[in-house]
Amino acid sequence: MGKLYGYAGKILRINLTRMEWRYEELDKKLVKGYVGGRGFNARRLYDEAPPGIDPLSPDNKLMISTGPIAGTGFPLGTRVNVSAKSPLTGILGDSNAGGHFGSEMKYAGIDQIILEGKSEKPIYIYITNRSVEFRDATHFWGETISEAHRGILGEIGDHRTQIALVGPASENGVLFGGVFFNAVRPAARTGMGTVMASKHVKAIAVRGDGYVEVARPSDFERLVEEIEEKVYSHEQYWPRRIMGTTRILLAGNKIGMLPAFHFTRGEVDFAFQVSGEILALKNNLKVRGCFSCVVPCSRVFAYTKSNDAYSISEGLEYEALAGMTVRIGNKELYKGLEAVELLNDLGMDAISTSEVISWAMELYNRGMIGEAETGGLRLNWGDMDSVIELIKQIAYRKGFGEILSEGVAKAAEKLGKGRDLAFHVKGLEMIQADPRALKGYGLGFAVASRGADHLRSEPFIELSDNPEIGRKMFGEPEATLRLGTKGKGLLVSYYENICALVDSLEVCKNLAENMDILGYGDISRLLESVTGMEFSPDDVKAIGERIVNLERAYIVKEGIRRKDDTLPKRFLKEPMSVGASKGHIIELEKMLDEYYTVRGWDLKTGIPRESTLKKLGLDEVIEDLKKKNIEISF
Amino acid sequence: MGLHLGADPTRCSGCRYCELWCSYKHEGVFSPYFSRIKVVKDDLEKIDFPLTCQDCEDAPCAKVCPTGAIQRDESTGVLKVIEDLCIGCGNCVSACPYGYLSLNPRSLKPLLCDLCSGVPECVKRCPTNALFLTKERLPTEYEMKDRFGKDHAIAMLFGGKYKRVKVV
Repeated sequence: MGKLYGYAGKILRINLTRMEWRYEELDKKLVKGYVGGRGFNARRLYDEAPPGIDPLSPDNKLMISTGPIAGTGFPLGTRVNVSAKSPLTGILGDSNAGGHFGSEMKYAGIDQIILEGKSEKPIYIYITNRSVEFRDATHFWGETISEAHRGILGEIGDHRTQIALVGPASENGVLFGGVFFNAVRPAARTGMGTVMASKHVKAIAVRGDGYVEVARPSDFERLVEEIEEKVYSHEQYWPRRIMGTTRILLAGNKIGMLPAFHFTRGEVDFAFQVSGEILALKNNLKVRGCFSCVVPCSRVFAYTKSNDAYSISEGLEYEALAGMTVRIGNKELYKGLEAVELLNDLGMDAISTSEVISWAMELYNRGMIGEAETGGLRLNWGDMDSVIELIKQIAYRKGFGEILSEGVAKAAEKLGKGRDLAFHVKGLEMIQADPRALKGYGLGFAVASRGADHLRSEPFIELSDNPEIGRKMFGEPEATLRLGTKGKGLLVSYYENICALVDSLEVCKNLAENMDILGYGDISRLLESVTGMEFSPDDVKAIGERIVNLERAYIVKEGIRRKDDTLPKRFLKEPMSVGASKGHIIELEKMLDEYYTVRGWDLKTGIPRESTLKKLGLDEVIEDLKKKNIEISF
Repeated sequence: MGLHLGADPTRCSGCRYCELWCSYKHEGVFSPYFSRIKVVKDDLEKIDFPLTCQDCEDAPCAKVCPTGAIQRDESTGVLKVIEDLCIGCGNCVSACPYGYLSLNPRSLKPLLCDLCSGVPECVKRCPTNALFLTKERLPTEYEMKDRFGKDHAIAMLFGGKYKRVKVV
């Protein structure tokens, strides 16, 4: 391959069993077909992690990838995807994070890091342009995120080093441990930290001194200027800078989509007390951003802890805020913030943690479990002392926390109680949105390749509740009504394709999706100006669809069928009790039919049809599925 | 003493957009390691401190240069590097009291802010308006430590104008 622009052109493969590393050249076919990030990871996972392997064994592979845009001056373009087979769900594990790690990988000359095997003793890996060092991490093992971040940074002695880190929860085998970038930006869903810790890797530190060049500088400059202008004049610019996503809490209360008291109420009367608005008004000190971000949405805030000490903390998005306040019935903002800070420092996923705790609380309050099961913990709604104690128990897998540390699906099996109340899809805990109030989101949860997660589709446009947009985009006005059901298959598949593409470009979804600034035309211009290769808008469109289908094929190999594309019973059967979405359930089956038809998947099994895969150039996947005796229709 | 770049760390978001476009304007590539402005960051203390040349009156970097490659432009008061004279020894890097100077990793010449002849690219690009032209000189790190002791970090966060963090 000739001179590469945008890409670093190298893949770093590290074998931990043999303590070896080598560079592999980046395959141009991979570039044209999958762009980067999530696409690269999905392809490699499909090829190199055969179905049936134990996620926590040395056979599993952990991959960290970034995209062609990372490290250039393109705004919001430096994210990373961490992927492996998930120990929590047993299917595709994949999580995305921001920070400064992706760009640093590029300056160190690599596009993807692959970890395979398992180290004998705890190590951390120090990567520079010229070498990879395996350093002893025995003295960091067991340390919290902040302690280990400080310690490793001190040992390397260079503040420009970027670190990906796991916390004690991952080390202890909590199945929803996250990989933390820059200490405060986790890729925490699906337990990627647990996989990293199972390989005895405490951290990956990267420091490069290279650069990234773009192929057509003047085109690139012009595009950046256009994007900058669109960002600065966007109506969401200031709200995002001031509140990040925490503003969703109050807005969500208005439309009755909150997960309050473990999804028993879509609306609460104390929403303002725990809202992002209050937090911003009283506590914000300044904003911080990821690398090359022009909409810095991470806020630094100070608040008083329960022991009267003050804490300066950062980040806090809607998911964590709602999870530690309304979902568990907590009315006190600062106590919620304290719980979030604690569970982050221990290295866990805030969404999964909030589900296991609120699930246990609902069982306790219904009298289905008592103090005998919880080990004496009183799990009344909003009892934050118990919650703090329970978070510690989960992270160290002690007492009642041991059962909860395996995720809500396995906990319900082990306990033999509350199976219908365990809110997960395919083993991944549900996020902080009630699908009865947001039906497109609901469909998205049911079909997402990693389980109940909004970031695979994020049909944000649904919140506009404007039928005109639906008519214009999909020819179906109901598609953009949040309580409508028609046209949702079109809506969700459209946004799934965009999300897959954007995750592979490693551009922030705030820009490309929620603010709706980066369309297919812009993405094609961007890729062409950065890489100098040809990417027509049609090529680019196909990339997202290809990734979605490949991921589907991967989970089909692991045994996922249409019957698994479902939602917990409460959302399908029990009408919402209060709020603006009162009386609604989610009519999933109808929407699923439409979705499969749009996707070109088999209506009965949910397996991609041969013609669909062929159209996307996935011929080898057809062969592979056939070889595994998976019934694939034409 | 002339104008130089100043920064407000309470506004800086630490995105390093300035670094990227500085290196692009001067070297044609994107990289913080080729930039003439540097953001000092600490993710735990939440510090983002953009640092540029303060054009010190006594200019320690110029003093230690064995070939006289760092000179003051008499008309503007800005320090500049005469690249033909520079031998890339790095003495200036050790002498800089702010820890600001560094060498270009490829050519080994010091990366010294030239204010883009009066229209700085970083000021134009900064998303949070944290950068500006000023005559005020920053206290050096040693001065900060002397004044604020262990609260040094919080003082950095508030740009040296130390105030106690007020929690409501």
